[in-house]
Amino acid sequence: MLQLLGRRLLATIPTLFGVLVVAFLLLNVVPGDPVAEMVGERADSATIARLRGELHLDEPIPVQFGHYLWGVVRGDLGRSYITQRPVLGDLAERFPKTLQLAGAAMLLAVTCGITLGVIAAIRPGGLIDRFSMLIAYVGVSFPVYWVGLLLILLFAVALRWLPPSGYGGIAFLVLPALTLGTRSIAFLARMTRGAMLDVLPSDFVRTARAKGLSERRVIGRHALRNALLPIITVLGLDVGNYLTGSILTETIFSWPGVGRYVLLAIQKRDLPAIQGSILFLSVIFVLVNLLTDVLYAKADPRVAYD
Amino acid sequence: MLRHLLRTVNLFDTAKTVLFLCFLAGCNPSGERGQVRGPVYYERDDPRSLDPALSTDVTTGEMIALLFDGLTQFDGDGRLLPALSDRWTADRTGRRYVFHLRAGVSFHDGRPVVAADVKRSFLRVLNPQTHGGRVWPLLPIAGAGDFADGHASDVRGIEVMGDTAVAFTLTEPLAVFPKFLAMPVASVVPSPVPADFGQHPVGTGPWRFVAWQHDDYLRFAKNPSYWGGAAESESLTVRIVPEALTRAAEFLSGRISVVEVPFGETKKWEQEHPDWLKRRPALRPVYVPLNNRRGPLRDARVRQAINHAVNVPEILRTVWNGRGALAAGSIPPTLGGSDSARRPYSYDTTEARRLLRAAGYPNGFSLQLWRSGTNVEMGRVAQAIQAQLAAVGIQVEIVSRDASSMREAVRKGDTDMAILDWWADYPDADNFLYPLFHSASFGPGGNYSFYSDPVTDSLIMVARRTVDQSAREALYARIDDRVYQAAPWIYLWFPVDLWAEHPSIEGWDVPVIFNGQRWTRVRVTAPR
Repeated sequence: MLQLLGRRLLATIPTLFGVLVVAFLLLNVVPGDPVAEMVGERADSATIARLRGELHLDEPIPVQFGHYLWGVVRGDLGRSYITQRPVLGDLAERFPKTLQLAGAAMLLAVTCGITLGVIAAIRPGGLIDRFSMLIAYVGVSFPVYWVGLLLILLFAVALRWLPPSGYGGIAFLVLPALTLGTRSIAFLARMTRGAMLDVLPSDFVRTARAKGLSERRVIGRHALRNALLPIITVLGLDVGNYLTGSILTETIFSWPGVGRYVLLAIQKRDLPAIQGSILFLSVIFVLVNLLTDVLYAKADPRVAYD
Repeated sequence: MLRHLLRTVNLFDTAKTVLFLCFLAGCNPSGERGQVRGPVYYERDDPRSLDPALSTDVTTGEMIALLFDGLTQFDGDGRLLPALSDRWTADRTGRRYVFHLRAGVSFHDGRPVVAADVKRSFLRVLNPQTHGGRVWPLLPIAGAGDFADGHASDVRGIEVMGDTAVAFTLTEPLAVFPKFLAMPVASVVPSPVPADFGQHPVGTGPWRFVAWQHDDYLRFAKNPSYWGGAAESESLTVRIVPEALTRAAEFLSGRISVVEVPFGETKKWEQEHPDWLKRRPALRPVYVPLNNRRGPLRDARVRQAINHAVNVPEILRTVWNGRGALAAGSIPPTLGGSDSARRPYSYDTTEARRLLRAAGYPNGFSLQLWRSGTNVEMGRVAQAIQAQLAAVGIQVEIVSRDASSMREAVRKGDTDMAILDWWADYPDADNFLYPLFHSASFGPGGNYSFYSDPVTDSLIMVARRTVDQSAREALYARIDDRVYQAAPWIYLWFPVDLWAEHPSIEGWDVPVIFNGQRWTRVRVTAPR
């Protein structure tokens, strides 16, 4: 297993290098000028030219990329043009908050989504099934933005149970986690239901029942465990959604995470901050994929990696 | 059914509940943060830094104004007042200014403010290593340009006179120079600046720095020995809330003290909470620069025709909720030099067609109108203009881009038209003429219409050199009139800003200039 992990980690290096190259080239092609964003609405050409020189923006692109790559190899993602703070420090400050939000949303999705799916599958066509599938349908269809604002209006402005936005204790986490998780709950519920319906008529489920196991053990230990593979796949893929979905959710709920950092960096054409964020998020994504593969093997011993 | 339900739910409760609780327990348990006693303001984005030298945008400027002082300052009405300098004199030529420092002022760390601090603060701003980006307010000082270019090791135009006075010699007379010194970038900082100054600032202002959680909040405590009188509240919090409707929700739940009323909510708030609302005509024209160097727009008759073809009063009323005053010139009506007798271009499609025929375009032509994709209201204005210009035969294609791409294209002169607004840096007509219409300001300097007229250029320079206020204002009125006749813009309106003040708050008003509200007279009167 360790050897496998090592090999897989090595294989991520070309992937990440590719990400770096593509991100760098794209950012140099898109319109918009980082120096113009730094100097604000009124500036003289001499100042702009001077700044371009200071930031090495007037050098040929391969040279600029060389500088950047050399920094990355040494673990230095550079400094933001706008704030002049180190990008890595900015990301390190914000990532735990994004992780907290994504983690809460994921827990919510896993508990609610799988539960709904399993209940629905036990009595397909029953009242609970139809109800939970309706919720799933609605949850998939609503845009995150709209759900978020609606939740704020209901729970913060009308009922005053929770704060509308901001970062703090548990109370601050509920609404954004629900917003970020809604789509996932819905999707997971449908996925789980489908997988369970595939598994429940199997021989081993019948055998388990025949052995006299309690229904709880039959569903939980035998059926659900066998239905887990597609669920893990969906969860692994969903991590990408949590990271990108966090841009909207964090903006609506004033959550100080990576999503908003990326958004502002893009708006301001803050090249080091954008490149650093892309690289950082790519690393996370690659690691999550690796973790998903490991979980496959854990959930189903038949999956073996050589 | 219920039996099944309970059993299945039980599957998940033990381990996962424990996990969930552990997770939540790990969250920062400072849920009481919303209960701060002082007033709470907000910004849309995190400030760039708390270092005045990096102050190039409104957000950063507002924060700098809380922590620091310049030699001069603006009040909420935009009047120029003494600050760290309690009196200054200009010689008769208007080229040499002497600023005398207020006695007994100290930085928050106890160091006294001396004249050498002023000089070192300005050198810091001009130093290319600072990467600030805003040096133009200090460039009028003799030798400042050479220093910024690295050609000189000192600025010869700044002269420290002992500990208590500093003199500036300018390259040429500049009547508005004392107003330049009230801008955030010209704040006085201690020297040498403490380590990590942008994150842990030390100033002389009414508020001391306490904490800054990026993208979350900034916290300030009152400076009890502030030379202008200590603030009435013990603390001030500034939260970072990017979304307008979220801000409204925060305000309605009493967690921020003042809020700009969201555009779409104007009618509702006017009906439901008229007593909360505060209006203030903004020093900010909304306008469409017509690129004077492109195609048919080179002809002044075409530009006048476009002004006649757009029904500005109707757009203002319907799209902008009537939140503005019609523009008949570029100088806001509250500033000296604005001519209230000048009439806006009439909405007259017959006259527009006649002018187009006279210019040789009886069958019209097509133009592009750029708008920022994130600004919904401006987008609607663009659509209205598009529809109305179509009526006189001008086909308009709306190009929607993100703000940064649009800014680049506009500055390069690659757009026919764009819908923009212009925020005042200092409340003076010069801020609406020199950057917007002088040919030295083409592109990044602010002249996005690339309007170029030697007479206008020289009149603007004469006005800048004119020390007598009323003579200067008369000149501004004349320049504004001359430019207006040439119609380098579609003149739209000056918005009236609409804010709401929470009933628990007293002493706040909408400032006319962004760094004019320093929150010293604001207090919380009732528990929220």
